[in-house]
Amino acid sequence: MQRFSRYFLVFVVLIMSGCAEEWLDRKPQNIILEEQIWNDPKLITGLLANYYDRLPYHTDLNHGSTTDAAIPNKEGWQDFAAYDEAMWSNNDDARNNIVTYAIDRWRLWDYVLVRDINLALENIEKFGTSLSAEQKVQFSAELRFLRAQVYFDLVKRMGGVPLVTKQLIYDYNGDPSYLQQPRAKEEEVYDFIASELDAIKEQLGNGGSNTRANKYTAMALKSRAMLYAGSIAKYNNLMASPISTPGGEVGIPASRANDYYAKSLAASEEIINSGVYQLYKTNPNLGENFYDAITKKSANPEIILAQDFLVSKDKRHGFTYDNIARNVREDNLSSSSITPSLNLVEDYEYLDGTSGELKTRNAGNTDYIYYNNVADVFANKDARLYGTVVYPGTSFRGTPVQIQAGVKVWNGTTSSFQNVESNTLGSTYEDGGLLTGSSGPQRSQTEVTNSGFYLRKYVDQTAMSSTRGIRSDMWWVRYRLGEIYLNAAEAALETGKTANALKYVNMVRERAGFGANSLKTLTIARLQNERRVELAFEDHRVWDLKRWRIAHELWNGNASNPDAVIYALYPYRVVRPGHATHGKYVFDKLVAPRFRAPRFFQMGNYYSSIEQLVIDNNPKIVRNPFH
Amino acid sequence: MKANNIHFKPFFLAMLALTALLSACEKDNRVEPKSVLTGRVVYEGQPVGLRSNGVQLEIWQRGYQLFTKIPVHVRQDGTFSAALFDGNYKLVRLRGNGPWVDNTDTIEVALSGNTELDVPVQPYFVFQNDTYAKGEGKVSATFNLKQINTTRTLERVNLYVGTTSIVDPNNNAGNAQEVAANIKDLSKPITLTASLSAALAGRDYVYVRVGVKTSGVGEMLFGTPQKVMLK
Repeated sequence: MQRFSRYFLVFVVLIMSGCAEEWLDRKPQNIILEEQIWNDPKLITGLLANYYDRLPYHTDLNHGSTTDAAIPNKEGWQDFAAYDEAMWSNNDDARNNIVTYAIDRWRLWDYVLVRDINLALENIEKFGTSLSAEQKVQFSAELRFLRAQVYFDLVKRMGGVPLVTKQLIYDYNGDPSYLQQPRAKEEEVYDFIASELDAIKEQLGNGGSNTRANKYTAMALKSRAMLYAGSIAKYNNLMASPISTPGGEVGIPASRANDYYAKSLAASEEIINSGVYQLYKTNPNLGENFYDAITKKSANPEIILAQDFLVSKDKRHGFTYDNIARNVREDNLSSSSITPSLNLVEDYEYLDGTSGELKTRNAGNTDYIYYNNVADVFANKDARLYGTVVYPGTSFRGTPVQIQAGVKVWNGTTSSFQNVESNTLGSTYEDGGLLTGSSGPQRSQTEVTNSGFYLRKYVDQTAMSSTRGIRSDMWWVRYRLGEIYLNAAEAALETGKTANALKYVNMVRERAGFGANSLKTLTIARLQNERRVELAFEDHRVWDLKRWRIAHELWNGNASNPDAVIYALYPYRVVRPGHATHGKYVFDKLVAPRFRAPRFFQMGNYYSSIEQLVIDNNPKIVRNPFH
Repeated sequence: MKANNIHFKPFFLAMLALTALLSACEKDNRVEPKSVLTGRVVYEGQPVGLRSNGVQLEIWQRGYQLFTKIPVHVRQDGTFSAALFDGNYKLVRLRGNGPWVDNTDTIEVALSGNTELDVPVQPYFVFQNDTYAKGEGKVSATFNLKQINTTRTLERVNLYVGTTSIVDPNNNAGNAQEVAANIKDLSKPITLTASLSAALAGRDYVYVRVGVKTSGVGEMLFGTPQKVMLK
């Protein structure tokens, strides 16, 4: 016993004295400490990359949403097909058959990211001892930009949300109520975004970068956010019964509309007048130029902020694999998921300024109009149509995309045409000519267009980018100058500066092939259409309709409402030997055969519901109207 | 002894399995809610016609850890039902949801066994004396519109035609409309005539239903669907 105690004592002394300093104070090999991160600009940049990548998304290129019915809030590129820009032509019919939009469809409550940013802001102050003051200010500004972007995504979906700008730390006293913050007013959140962006815009640095935020990125976010706030203030109060809560968590007073529009216009003009960005006008072919303007990643002066991808770093996505036109695909599966609607195609005007409705029937509606070439019906259309949509008679990657539904054979005894269509793509009719195109359209098959069109915007032209082995590194544009011009035009129009509004919108139209000063007068409806065609498939449509408060009128769930139903265009070759029309092309407009349920947007969709768990944990949270 | 053992083991295992199975059954299966709360949304004792899949009431029960609303959808004839456990519930008319004046007063429901409940509401407009007639390739409805509450104005009245008894703005094959500007005097009867498409006119019968839209209220209020024999 005596001996054991002695050894024990020696052992304890050894541990306590000699080893203690080094053995117990060693730096871990597998954990990066706060002091290490916040003193190394490279590590901080890595962390920022993570936060940029986690920014909230609704439709983008990277996230494919699920068809699982149990998951209500669908998000991801597949929901390009959930509104009126396109329908779904791949397997399953989920997006063609949305009976009503769920009230939690656009729900977002991402306080995890908010907390991470708040924590980073506090830690960079606390631990960043060897960073220069300049670096500290710049990184903090960038973090605050990201936080402002998250709050904008929160407020546009949920209305006013609690403004948490510091870490909330629980002290285990058994009463968490001091951590429970009520929802801020909707206008307070927008004001917070504006004041944050003003405070940091000169500190951001990153000049010339289009993947990290700089001064103009901050102004681009401000331009968009203030425009949203202004139009909610104006159009919500024009409704017969404005959507609001007594505490102002939802709804902005009409008196603030002008203020917000003016702020949006000022932010847009700061970008425009700086001359740092220009509309992309490199390619003399205007249609291809518009495609390049969004997809060209080098020497593109239009892009303000994009989420970039790179094949060689294995940061890539399968958007092109899933959406490329059928007969130019390089893999043996998928393709043709998002297929644009005739509704969208007809919203692209003719270059002479007339309505974009396709001319398929003669003036008296007694007969077809016969076209020599299948592409002739699209002649003289807005060049943005070519840049956005693959329509019949065009090509992708230099290969013609063959779009023909079948042939119309003249029946002399009944004096009418009979449709002949084939289930075999690229098949030949008995006269030796083409029957059904190798890219369809096809009424019931999947992985081939059902609407008669394919998507071009954001589909990668790089060789092999539509294979599963390689995939695509097409970037996702968050802000670009084209939108800023349209934001400026709208804010100017709403504040009575019509001359400026015309100037801005005409610049965007000029790039699309319209002559200089093509518009002489301007209405909000005109601008709404301009945004629809310029910004198609860039995650604007549903948000725009919400802030103008017209979504419930446009998408009213009525099968006889042409705006709520997705239409298709089916081209046919005429077989009528010996007649002048033989071999010419005619077009049928029809409700897309696989489209089932008219779009139905209800009043409860303007603001998404807050999860009951959130309300249970924080009784100060009030529910949104209609939920 | 040895032989005994061999027989004993499988028997023992079987008994063990059986015990586990039986005891598990008892634990895993909760009783289903047996009491049914049925009811009607009524004005002056008469059920109110609504859009199918449109309006909901909500039921809450306090005193449990998870406090989540139970949505109760009202059918197009104004009735609803929910299977619940016995207990005390609070029923709320969701604000801005139905074609009636907002009234968020809580209705206490003490449920024991099957219970019937009338939920009173005050609509802005109701139909009176509605009659329906068929014509050559068309159907018409004549009715009086009575304004119950004057805080909101009339937006329009519609006549919807459908092939099933579910007829509303989202489910119809034809409709006729008259906007408020053309309806000067509510004391006089209003007539709406909807012409039928060839496909509809060739049928033996159609269902028709009148609806009234109050401005600023999302949902419409409807009359009872009527089957009109065309032949």
